[in-house]
Amino acid sequence: MKQRATTLLLMLPALLLLAAVFLYPLLRYGWLSFHASSVLTGLVPVPNGGANWLRLLSDARFWTDAGQTLRFAVCSVALELAGGLALALLLHQPLQGRGALRALTLLPWALPTTVMALGWRWILNDPHGPLNAAIRSLGGSSYAFLSTPATTWFFVVLADVWKTLPFVALLLLAGLQTIPVDLEEALRLEGASRVQILRRLTLPLLVPYIALALLFRLAQALGVFDLILVLSGGGPAGSTESLALYAYLNAMRFLDFGYAATVMLATFLLLLALLGGGWLLLRRGGIERTPDRAT
Amino acid sequence: MNLTPAAGLELRQLCRDLGERRLLDRLDLKVAPGECLALLGPSGCGKSTTLRLVAGLDPASAGKVLLDGEDLTDRGPGERQVAMVFQSYALYPHLSVEGNLALGLKVRGVPVRERQRRIEAILDLLQLQELRLRRPAQLSGGQRQRVALARALLRQPRIVLLDEPMSNLDAQLREELRPELRRLLCGREQPVIYVTHDQQEAVGMADRIALLEGGRLQQVGSPRELYADPANRFVASFLGRPAINLLAMEPHRQLGLRPEHLRLGDDGAVAARLQRREWWGHQQLLWLDTPWGTVRVLTAPETPLPTEPRLSWQRQHELWFDPRSGERLAHGRI
Amino acid sequence: MAVRSRLPSLRWRRCALMLLSAVLLSAVLLALLPSTGLVGAQPSAAQPIPIRVLMPAPLADAVAGPVARFNARGSGVAVEVVRGPLDTETISDLAISSLLLGEAPFDLLLVDVSWLAKYVAAGWLVPLERWFGPEVLAGMEPGARLGNGLGDHLWRMPLTGDTGLLYWRTDLMERPPRDTEELVALSRDLQRRGKVRWGYLWQGRQYEGLSCVMVEVLQAFGARWWNGATARTELDSPEAVAAAGWLAGLLRDGVSPKAVANYAENDALQSFAAGEAAFLRNWPYAWREIEKSDGPVKGKVGVTPMVGAPGEQGGGTLGTWGLSLIEGSPHPEEAVEVIRWLTGPVVQRQLAIEQGYAPTWSRLYDDADLQRRAPLLAVQRQALQHPQLRPLTPAYAQLSDLLARQVNGMLTAQEGPDQAMAAAQGQSLQVLRSVAGTTGPKGTASEG
Repeated sequence: MKQRATTLLLMLPALLLLAAVFLYPLLRYGWLSFHASSVLTGLVPVPNGGANWLRLLSDARFWTDAGQTLRFAVCSVALELAGGLALALLLHQPLQGRGALRALTLLPWALPTTVMALGWRWILNDPHGPLNAAIRSLGGSSYAFLSTPATTWFFVVLADVWKTLPFVALLLLAGLQTIPVDLEEALRLEGASRVQILRRLTLPLLVPYIALALLFRLAQALGVFDLILVLSGGGPAGSTESLALYAYLNAMRFLDFGYAATVMLATFLLLLALLGGGWLLLRRGGIERTPDRAT
Repeated sequence: MNLTPAAGLELRQLCRDLGERRLLDRLDLKVAPGECLALLGPSGCGKSTTLRLVAGLDPASAGKVLLDGEDLTDRGPGERQVAMVFQSYALYPHLSVEGNLALGLKVRGVPVRERQRRIEAILDLLQLQELRLRRPAQLSGGQRQRVALARALLRQPRIVLLDEPMSNLDAQLREELRPELRRLLCGREQPVIYVTHDQQEAVGMADRIALLEGGRLQQVGSPRELYADPANRFVASFLGRPAINLLAMEPHRQLGLRPEHLRLGDDGAVAARLQRREWWGHQQLLWLDTPWGTVRVLTAPETPLPTEPRLSWQRQHELWFDPRSGERLAHGRI
Repeated sequence: MAVRSRLPSLRWRRCALMLLSAVLLSAVLLALLPSTGLVGAQPSAAQPIPIRVLMPAPLADAVAGPVARFNARGSGVAVEVVRGPLDTETISDLAISSLLLGEAPFDLLLVDVSWLAKYVAAGWLVPLERWFGPEVLAGMEPGARLGNGLGDHLWRMPLTGDTGLLYWRTDLMERPPRDTEELVALSRDLQRRGKVRWGYLWQGRQYEGLSCVMVEVLQAFGARWWNGATARTELDSPEAVAAAGWLAGLLRDGVSPKAVANYAENDALQSFAAGEAAFLRNWPYAWREIEKSDGPVKGKVGVTPMVGAPGEQGGGTLGTWGLSLIEGSPHPEEAVEVIRWLTGPVVQRQLAIEQGYAPTWSRLYDDADLQRRAPLLAVQRQALQHPQLRPLTPAYAQLSDLLARQVNGMLTAQEGPDQAMAAAQGQSLQVLRSVAGTTGPKGTASEG
């Protein structure tokens, strides 16, 4: 009992801070979403009932952006997990210069997103970017990659994958390193192939790490903002606009804070629903394992 | 040991290098079918390396691994039909006991029925029926060892390898499990190699002991042979507790005398003075000062000590070594 | 493995928790310290009054010299210029983030003409007519007087009189085109003869810059975005659709590259400076950039006011910057003195020479020495006679955002001009209705 009290006391500052940085804005958004607060009210919040939420329901742009954001998140996270796993398995091999290789793969992740996005914009520039230069040197003609929705979307996803794949790989690598070598050797002695080892042993043991990476990245990808702001500006024609960018435009450009808070909160609820759903799925799949009692 | 040249496991000039370091140096060893050979030695002596080479987990740098005359050297670990019990037991933590047993069979494509039958049989044999649904984390150390053993036996191995299988258990459990392990593993048609650093375990488990040091085989033979007729000083001092007394009596020869072979009386070759006494219940160990240094003597617990004790021994128990190389000197050999 | 790590992990977690709490606590304390006044010295009475001005980096650099001289005069005021980001939208984001925090982080803000209505509505600016009477603006070129007043107040003093300009290659033609048809005809001829890869480069990315281009194209075809009298947009008029159609045609016919649909000012300038095109739409700064570089078109570039369709009066979008006083500035009197000096002829002269910014004062345009040192001056003055103002409404950001979105959609061939403009008009009216619905007539504003 006494120990629990001490624990609580020790946790108090952390909890307070968490409440301050997390709970407070959330409550504030909730409150603001039931108010009109824009240049038209002199930025003074005036209660307007559920007007913001009603507007949201019929706001085609919000739902389009929600679809686009979801598509972006699902695609990039799926690619990151697949690629991250492959990279982690590669980095787990006892190669020469493995340490340097590991450090090298982390570079994209260490790069600030805006810098990275500017870099991609330059790479994809028509006609001066290196990608188009390469295409021309192969006899093709330049292509305006960022002027068509499909290619823009593709490269937004690619840039995100390029940047965060190392993070996923590192997380999974950490997971791989917790798997004792004995286990794999035992299975090899049974005559298992590499694929069988991966499927029967490595992947099941990596599940907690995969789930962690999934949750982490999904939450991040659903809030994608700076990458899109810089790389495509949400274009062409809004085809890559994300919910976070829409909320940002509402707040910082349109100064419509009531509606921005509504969009933000709706995004958060969407994320929560998605993560909750994913968690339930994991549980039902029986993959969620509680650590067993020690002997 | 009457072995036909082809039967059983044979290691021929087996070497393993890691970078510049030679972990195992030209090992020659034979293990007959049904024989249990203990690989004994201090840590880093090359015993685990040998085991991994036999299993095929590491490639041999030179030499051959032969089974019943068949060359296994270039075969992968999955193609050697080897069963191994790891020091850690290497149980799959995400699977139940049953799943642990089934996985190997699944991987090899054993049909469900056959799988089921064999698992039931092995669960019965090792009395694991009640634990079949538990995860490894829910088992005690002894239970885990039984599961690892069951998994090894399910493999229907041509060779059985055990890598310090009892080092994670407490001393009492170890002694209890030894006969069971022998019953289950030894005396069948497969050769068994048992790696340990514990001489008591080696003596208790093995028909023969191969003693390794620094990647080299020092001596191989029955426990009795190694004890009574050690090839060198290392073998003499590694085997036998309390350790052998090494006395620099002469400039070019070193005399080895085991504590249990020394007697204390009123007359003898060497004068001694009692320094310390360790009482062990069934025996007592005396530490004595002599002109050649401290000497350990093992006697019956209540042996009275003469007022002026002197040490004596029988000639046949003398073991002479070259003080520099440690090689056994022919003089004084039985 | 889970079992083995169990015991130590508990203790470790405790330790980590304690450490974390300690770190957090000290972080909170540190954060509180400055606001409680425990640390941080107050400026002593003898020190000059600091006046902080936020400006985009190029302008901040351009005024650095004059500011240093001003501070050296020892007038009791120390001007401190804060270098903001280069991009107009980004610096607005920065300014707004600071202003939202409540206390004015700076006394003066260099305000883009397109922000003004929004900032006024938000209540962040202080009216300036107390210090600057109507006669002050009379000394300025007509275009420079626009976009400073709103309601019955003067909200900013213009520092630059920039408008969108048409850049052309003096080595490829004898004179600049007179209208849009000539522009296209010249482009195609030069492209056909292999002199240039592209005809006309401009800004087609989905952002504020595309709205500026649209203002000019609409004007060129006799259409308009905003009707100040009705406070309504007129984007679906036949003229507006024709204007949009012309823009889309530039891409379709290859006069402009498809990549234009992702070009901002710098992308277009880069391509033009590399000698790839005959014409460029950009702001005055671009001329200095080209002349400062050692690119292939250096010394071969002329500038002309934006052209219209045959029979129509062309006009460049007004992109002026001006200084506004921030509400809550502790030293308004001193700050206004800084405005007076910074927007005065001395500084403007310097900006014209060094950066090519257009002055606002008429007498600077008559200055023969300045004419020689700032070759664009005559064209800039010409452009300031027919400048085009973007809609002066607090809802401008929404209107611009949706227009740029629709036009960009048209450029990337997702919609025809009539569909795009009809959609833009419909959405604009929706935005304006929501504006009217919330506050009534107070939300709309007339130009001053």
